[in-house]
Formats: sequence, C-alpha cells, structure tokens
Amino acid sequence: MKESSVVEILLVEDNPQDLELTQRALKKANLAIHLHIARDGEEALQFVFCQGPYTWRRIEDTPKVILLDLKLPKVDGMEVLARIKSDPRTKTIPVVMLTSSKEQNDVVESYKLGVNSYIVKPVNFERFAAAVQHLGMYWLLHNQPPKMEE
Amino acid sequence: MTTPEEHLKASYKEISDLKAALDEHAIVAITDPRGKITYVNDKFCAISKYSREELLGQDHRIVNSGYHPKEFIREIWTTIGRGKVWKGEIKNKARDGSFYWVDTTIVPFLDAQGKPRQYVAIRADITERKRAEAAAALLAAIVKSSDDAIVGKDLQGVVTSWNAGAESLFGFTAGEMVGQPITRLIPPDRQQEETEILGRIRRGDSVRHFETLRLHKDGKLLHISVTVSPIKDSAGRIIGASKVARDITERMQAQQKIQQFNNELEQRVAERTAQLESANKELEAFSYSVSHDLRAPLRAVDGFSQAVLEDYAPQLPEGCRDYLRTIRNGAQKMGALIDDLLTFSRLSRLPLSKSAVDTGKLVRRILGELNFQMQGRQIDIRIADLPPCQADPALLKQVWINLLSNALKYTSKRDAAVVEVGCTREKEQNVYFVRDNGTGFDMQYAHKLFGVFQRLHRAEDYEGTGVGLAIVQRVIHRHGGRVWAESEVGHGATFHFTLEGETKS
Repeated sequence: MKESSVVEILLVEDNPQDLELTQRALKKANLAIHLHIARDGEEALQFVFCQGPYTWRRIEDTPKVILLDLKLPKVDGMEVLARIKSDPRTKTIPVVMLTSSKEQNDVVESYKLGVNSYIVKPVNFERFAAAVQHLGMYWLLHNQPPKMEE
Repeated sequence: MTTPEEHLKASYKEISDLKAALDEHAIVAITDPRGKITYVNDKFCAISKYSREELLGQDHRIVNSGYHPKEFIREIWTTIGRGKVWKGEIKNKARDGSFYWVDTTIVPFLDAQGKPRQYVAIRADITERKRAEAAAALLAAIVKSSDDAIVGKDLQGVVTSWNAGAESLFGFTAGEMVGQPITRLIPPDRQQEETEILGRIRRGDSVRHFETLRLHKDGKLLHISVTVSPIKDSAGRIIGASKVARDITERMQAQQKIQQFNNELEQRVAERTAQLESANKELEAFSYSVSHDLRAPLRAVDGFSQAVLEDYAPQLPEGCRDYLRTIRNGAQKMGALIDDLLTFSRLSRLPLSKSAVDTGKLVRRILGELNFQMQGRQIDIRIADLPPCQADPALLKQVWINLLSNALKYTSKRDAAVVEVGCTREKEQNVYFVRDNGTGFDMQYAHKLFGVFQRLHRAEDYEGTGVGLAIVQRVIHRHGGRVWAESEVGHGATFHFTLEGETKS
C-alpha cells in the first residue's frame, strides 16, 4: 500500500498563505500527517477520481474529509462539490467548505449540492486555527463513516 | 212626370244632403259680406272650442292666431272681395289658446249684381300634418347642420341622400354622390364590408360604431366610425339604410401616438432595468470579491503575526511583541469593517420580504443574544408594550441589534445604565424608540449620525466601525419609514424609527 493511499484529509486551497496557515493549524493538532494538498479544482477532481497524475490511486481509497475552498482556479469549489456529490462512488466523502465567503447564496447552494459543513474562515488566527482543528478532529476522529461496498 | 214643386222639393233635399255630407267632412263657416259670421257647423265649434252663440255675429278675428302677417289677411279679402275663390293654409287660435291649422277654401257667393253676398269657408284640419312637417323640417335641419356625415342609401347600396357633413368628410358633393353606389367610398380591399353591412340591414339589424377605413375623394384613407341603421317605410318595410359616419382619424392618430409613447416608455424602462440589473450584478460581484479576496490577506497578516509571536516570542523584545499585537488588532478591525460593509451592501441589495413581526418577542430575544455586552454591569432595561409591525424579519432584527447594542455600548461608562424600549402611535404608524442614559452626542452633528463610516466618538472611547446606524437607516428607509435621533451630550440619546403597523385584513 502506497503512502498516499492513506490520505485522510484532502485540502483544496489555492492561496499559499491560507494554505500555510491551515497546515500550521492542523499540524498543531497533529492532524497533518496524512494530508494531501490540491492547488485548484481540477487537481482536486483528478485526485478524487484517480485521473491525470493520480491514475495510480484507487477510487475506493476515499479521504476521510475534503476541505474545499470555494474560489479556485480552473474549476471552482462549487463544481468540485457538485461532481463529487453526484457520483455514487464519491458522494459519501464528507466535504467541508472552508471559505471566506459569507454570501448566503454560497451557503445555500453548497447545502443544496450536499455539502456536509460550511465554515467561514475567520480573520483572527486563533479562531481560524480553532475552527480548522475542531473540524479536523470531528471528521477524522469522531465521525463514523459508512462502510463502502466492496 | 214630376211637378215643379216636386222637382223643387227633390232639389232642396239634394242640396241639404250635400250640405249634410259637407258638414260631416269639413269645417264650414259662412260670413256675410262685412265678415260677420252667420253660420258655423259643429266641426267649426269643435275645433275652435267656441260655442255657436259665441261665434255668431263675430268676425274671424276671434280665431286669429296672429301668426300670419297683415298682408296675408288683406290678400284673402282682396281675392274674395273680387268674387274669386281663395285657397290656402291658415293657422288659427282656439278659445283655450291652442293653435290649429286649417286647409281653407273660401268661396264667395255672388248676388245678381255679381257682388259677394256671403262667403262660404270650407276648411280641413291639417294640424297633424303641419306638426309632422315641422318635425320633419327640424330633423332635416339637424341632418343638414350636423358635422357628422349622414347618408341615406337604398338596399342596393345606392346613395339617396348626402348631407353637408358627408360633403366635408368625403369631399364629394351631394350632386356627385346621390344616385351613385356607396362602394365608391370603400377601399378595394374592404368591398366585402358593404355586402355584410347590407346583409345585416336587410335582416333589420344595425351596425354600431364600426371602425373602418374609407376613401376621401382625393384618394386619402380616412379612419371613420360608422353606424348604419335600417330605414323603414310607414308599413314597416325596410327600404334602405341611414349611415352616420364620423372622422376618427385624429383619435386614431392620438391612439397610435399613445401606443408609441407607451412602447418607448416600456423600452426605456426595460433599458433602465437592464442597466440597474447589470449595476446590481456588478455590485454583487464586487462585494463577493471583497468578501473573498480582501479577507484572505488580512488572515495572512493576522495569522503570520501570531505565528511570529508563537514561534519567536522569546527572541523578541517586548516592544516588538506589542507592535505585532497592534498589527493583529488592525487586521482584525479591518476584518470587522469588511464584514459590516458587506452586511450593509447586502441589506441594500436583498429584496424585502415583509411579514408580521412580533416586535416584543424580537427585542427580548436580541437582548438575550447581547447578554455578553451586559456582563458585570448594572443595567435597568425597561421594555414597554411593543405592537407588532410589518417588516422583513431578518432586516428588522439587524436594526434592533444595532440600536440595542449601541445603547448598551454608550452606557458602558454609567454606573447605573438605563435602556428604555417603547413605541408610540402616530398616524397609522408605529414609532418605536430606544432611549439610553449614556454618553449621548452633540446634536450639531446629528446629520452625520447615519452616514457610512461616520463616527461621533473616538475609537479609544467607544469601539465601532461607523456602519451600524447606516444599516439602521438603510433598512428603515427601504421599509418606507423614517429614523431620527435626539440627544444631549452626557444625558443619553433616543433613537426613533417608524414602521407601518400590522395590516388588518
């Protein structure tokens, strides 16, 4: 089994500073061990659906949670969410929107598409870190995912 | 053989029978040569409404109506005085003042010298005919003077009469049109209309206010409204049609103009709406971008300052750590500012969805949420009876949050803070108010109170972004209400706003 097949968190983030801050927060809570990073929506989809550079992956090896930014180059977060949630092989993967947008439209649209949680990134780092750590803990440790059919 | 006597008798009988027949048919009077009435029959008495006694011995002035000129009367006397028969129509006046017309024949009976010895006047009552003639003349005058074109035609559509209105409307004179088919006036593509109209006329129906096009003599098209009705003879047979036509060209042109204006207006409204929509879209895109892109660098400023503090604190001098904290404060303050601005722009943009709001419940719930502002303080909150109102619940909640949290904020330096919430009624409107005994403000700056980013207090005294009251004003204005404030420095402030009460339906 390859190291990447045990990816627990897929973090989709294009902003390098946000990326570093999120990683820092996850590291502090020892949650960054099995972290994979995608820098745009296209890469995120390739990873999840085992395409492009990720053909070696098995689609059944789903991450425990996907932290998804909304505003992303190439394919935006909303479309990534829609594709993941409309495919029976991937729709059980928990997806958490981690975004700057407080727009009600985005929140409503995300939930309509089946998002599992919607977090607005606070400016205050302590609160940001706490939010990231809480959701990491919750989805990795407390949440009981369904057993995928063989 | 009859004897002369018998012959005379028979002749006399014959004459008196003739006289009886005459009396039966006509109004008869006899006057002597000087004009004195010597005989009237029953019909004369009946029509003049005088008794025989009143008439005998009088002259004809007794029934003179005054209608005829003196020359007319003189001419009668001249004629019969010469022994000639006079015929004519005379208007007389009855005893009760009513008038009657008689067709009159006066026959002078001459003596042996050829001089009139008496005048026998035989008359027929023509009052009805005269009345009908007058009525017909009146109608003819009306038709003649009408601005509307009034045209008669027979059942074959041949013009039988053509008034001045028709001449001026269609340009043809009566001479040109009478005897001509009416189809001359009808444009080639509308010829079938006449067949339909004549069909309805033959069935005894009318065509009312039919709007169509007809040709003027000069070939121009006329917009007309036409009413065609059957004409019946005295036996009730339909013998033709009367057609009344009116020029509605001006009206049609006016209508077209109105239609054109309407179209232009709609076009303009559509354009403006499109502009507004596009402006709104841009604004939305702008706030979206602000929401998204402006916060990210702030998170970096705040986050990495914190990272420095966490990772390198021991190596940093105290002053440096303070600066980093100030940097973080600034970033967070700007984050709050961006949030408030976005709220402000969202509140202006979102469509209102009004419903009945239980104001009292709303205010109590908000005060519960604002509990953190009250911790460790002595605050007397007095809530009076608050009637419900019609408003967008989410937007109204923001108004109350801002006003109540302001009241709590600006009383924070009072040992015993008092916040009053109440409502008065003014012309169908609820006037809600929030009164505090806090710092207040100088009324000379009241006009700045509701402006975006306007603050009347120093940041170090009272924190704030200067957006809260701008939000309050925007929301209340969008509801069609008013908002204002009264204050005295050091003696608290009162904020009022109006909203329509709950509609009773």
